[in-house]
Amino acid sequence: MANHRCGSVSEEEPCCDISKKTKICLCVFFGLLVAVIIAVPVGILMWRHPLQEWKGKGTTAHFYEILLGRCYTYTQIVRPELGHKDCQKIGKAFTTAFLSKDPCSSTEQDYQPLLELTAQTVPCNKTLFWSKSSQLAHDYTRVQGDLFTLEDTLLGYMADGLKWCGDPRSSEMNYQSCPDWREDCSNNSFSVFWNAVSKRFAEDACGVVHVVLNGSISNTFDERSTFGRVEVFNLRPEKVHQLQAWVMHDVGGVHSDSCSSSSVNNLKRILKERSIAFSCQNNYGPIRLLQCVKNPEPSSCR
Amino acid sequence: MTARGLTPSLLLQLLVVAGAAGARWRGQGTTPHLQSIILGRCAEYDALVNPDPRGRNCTAIWEAFKVVLVKDPCSVLPSDYDRFIDLSRHSIPRDKSLFWENNHLLVTSYSENGLRFLPLCSVLYGRIGDFLSWCRQENASGLDYQSCPTSEDCENNAVDSFWKRASMQYARESSGVISVMLNGSEPSGAYPVKGFFADFEIPYLQKDKITRIEIWVMHEIGKPKVESCGEGTVKILEERLKKMGFQYSCINDHLPVKLLKCVDHSTHPDCVLNSAAASREIPPLWAEHGASHIVPFLVALASAVHM
Repeated sequence: MANHRCGSVSEEEPCCDISKKTKICLCVFFGLLVAVIIAVPVGILMWRHPLQEWKGKGTTAHFYEILLGRCYTYTQIVRPELGHKDCQKIGKAFTTAFLSKDPCSSTEQDYQPLLELTAQTVPCNKTLFWSKSSQLAHDYTRVQGDLFTLEDTLLGYMADGLKWCGDPRSSEMNYQSCPDWREDCSNNSFSVFWNAVSKRFAEDACGVVHVVLNGSISNTFDERSTFGRVEVFNLRPEKVHQLQAWVMHDVGGVHSDSCSSSSVNNLKRILKERSIAFSCQNNYGPIRLLQCVKNPEPSSCR
Repeated sequence: MTARGLTPSLLLQLLVVAGAAGARWRGQGTTPHLQSIILGRCAEYDALVNPDPRGRNCTAIWEAFKVVLVKDPCSVLPSDYDRFIDLSRHSIPRDKSLFWENNHLLVTSYSENGLRFLPLCSVLYGRIGDFLSWCRQENASGLDYQSCPTSEDCENNAVDSFWKRASMQYARESSGVISVMLNGSEPSGAYPVKGFFADFEIPYLQKDKITRIEIWVMHEIGKPKVESCGEGTVKILEERLKKMGFQYSCINDHLPVKLLKCVDHSTHPDCVLNSAAASREIPPLWAEHGASHIVPFLVALASAVHM
């Protein structure tokens, strides 16, 4: 009848008035209880905080619903000629590109299926690039409905203003934080996406293309911007024969001639080397009018 | 405000579908993927545009909207949307309300997505319905994707009742300076005496919350001015507001809006700005390649002076 499961209890030692069998059950029970008490918090900690912590803002709340809603709005209402696109497939391809992956090791290949599903023809002479002039460029395409910025194409429209990233140890999106380009890593899923779509947008452009530049800042043409790094170098000289820049100055600000500034001349030089003609206009009329809508007071707006 | 705000391409689609299928009703059919669009718009509004600190339940909002989708297409009343409005309503900042008739796209551009003004299409319940169409089939339980009734088919149709209810709510929640944009080139008159603004917005304006009403009568660039302030239907509107005890003013071609219209007609004489004229007069010296000519000239002039 001697049983040593719960340690060396000598038969001679009397213990309480419980039988040996009861003692065994109690030992097992307490042993399991201790194990559970230790295991559960550890398990919870590991399960609830498996995600890496980054310096940037996390995935936008309701990311997937917004993505799908925008896809349908775009393909059914904004550009009904794309009504045949399968938004469910597109949404899946988008999330597959970054879920369960290291958000600092994103590659353009990850986004290839998505790019294929969202291919879209922008008519020649209708491509509008922008750099440090987002508000103005988009105000213009909102009014001039036949021009396209990247954010007026299906994929750009879907992703505009959203933030996303995944985590290798989870199948969930990381809503807490996402890598910051500067402080964490540059090959993050967000930046890689925009580089990939900007590249394609430039590759697809044809005819005379335009760019809205900001003449009120010092680096009107910034070689480190997406326009300077990616778009300019992916224009196809056999399809794009001219890039026309519209350099806009703030209304009521100092009028300077940015078309002949050194940074714009730099752009001209780069394009010349790529056999693409360049022309430039300060304060292109229609866009100047848009600026005046916001600020009709200055004499230059009357 | 037009119920569906049809763009030219939508209008074409409507004609094609209605013509091809021998459709039951005159209006565009239910927008495909209605649920996803509505959920997405609600989610986007909550995440990006105007988050509600209490948190909006977009699923509940959709469930509340859904109730009209099981009703007979000609038996939907504005009050059927009461619960939907209750869940999706939010306050409108003072002086930001913008009412309009016959210029949906201009209003959308001018209001800048709610930054400058907050027209009905920029508040959550308006945003949800904007450009969409929906109705149940006449004799079956599913949605009708072929066509939906307009007011000419029957009064109590799902879409018109939606906008009536939404308009009433929007008017009730407006305060401060109220702006109204009318189209003075519209042949049938700038102020539709029977319309959403006249029947479902003006009657619900809260006099004690409103300081004054500003009417802008806009005209198409290069097109005839059918009506202006103090004329025709605009006069009818002005008199109605006066009778109701509102302080009001009327401006023809309110400048900021006119400038926006000019973007598409920048070379039209009505649209030329002083600065544009000035920059065209700037001598070629300051043009792109001009600087290379002036320097030798100045040098020559300087040396001539020194002699």
